[in-house]
Amino acid sequence: MATEMGRRAIALVKLMFKFNVDIPKDPIVNIQTTENRGFTPDEVAERCVEKLISVSDTTHPAIRDQAQAFQKHMEKVVAFYMREAIRSDRTTVYNALKDAGHPKLAELIRRL
Amino acid sequence: MAFSGNFMCTSFKQELLEGAHNFKNSGGDTFKLAMYTNSASFNAATTAYTTSNEVTGTGYSAGGLALTRVDPSTSGSTALTDFADLTFSTATVTARGALIYNTTTGSGSGTTDTVVVLDFGSDKTSTAGDFTIQFPTADASNAIIRIA
Repeated sequence: MATEMGRRAIALVKLMFKFNVDIPKDPIVNIQTTENRGFTPDEVAERCVEKLISVSDTTHPAIRDQAQAFQKHMEKVVAFYMREAIRSDRTTVYNALKDAGHPKLAELIRRL
Repeated sequence: MAFSGNFMCTSFKQELLEGAHNFKNSGGDTFKLAMYTNSASFNAATTAYTTSNEVTGTGYSAGGLALTRVDPSTSGSTALTDFADLTFSTATVTARGALIYNTTTGSGSGTTDTVVVLDFGSDKTSTAGDFTIQFPTADASNAIIRIA
């Protein structure tokens, strides 16, 4: 009897301290690649918003639809500010090239 | 020899219990991601980064790139951590999978202890473009590293 109780206690302790750190065997990372170009602001914005806002498939449909609409709106906002950042960075690059004595190259960058 | 799925390395689980890995954003260890061709054969028994079958190409250097850590957090009864998406810029490479490994395990330096084997599912190619690894949503069900 005591031995049986002991076995049960050990089994309970084993259950209490078992934790799982495994990952699914199927692919879990998403790979995105481009050919002869970089990512567009829209493509990066989509990734950014996926990171910021996740909507579970099991969410109530009304809330899910609202959250997805919010995601789409956020994508446009993020893409807008990414374009602003790109434009601003081009201005910085333009001036750096011009100051370094490459006015033609600077102009090419400005016209991109 | 080929990739056969994702694996959390068994050695990593042991090292977790030994307190050898620090995922904190500030002051944490340096984790890197190296990419491989489908000739590589990794599984849960993989313990160290190797240059064997590592991809080569423009915009990719042996050893891969360092990952940006995201502070560990909890969601319900699950603890999790994440990495920022990683991009190999202006790269011409084809990769089938990757290894995440710790180069400063236990406050050391130049270590090669593997954390996880990632299978991309198929060969992925970038040509004079960007090759981005997007990590899953950092929640209790999907985060790249979770303790449930």
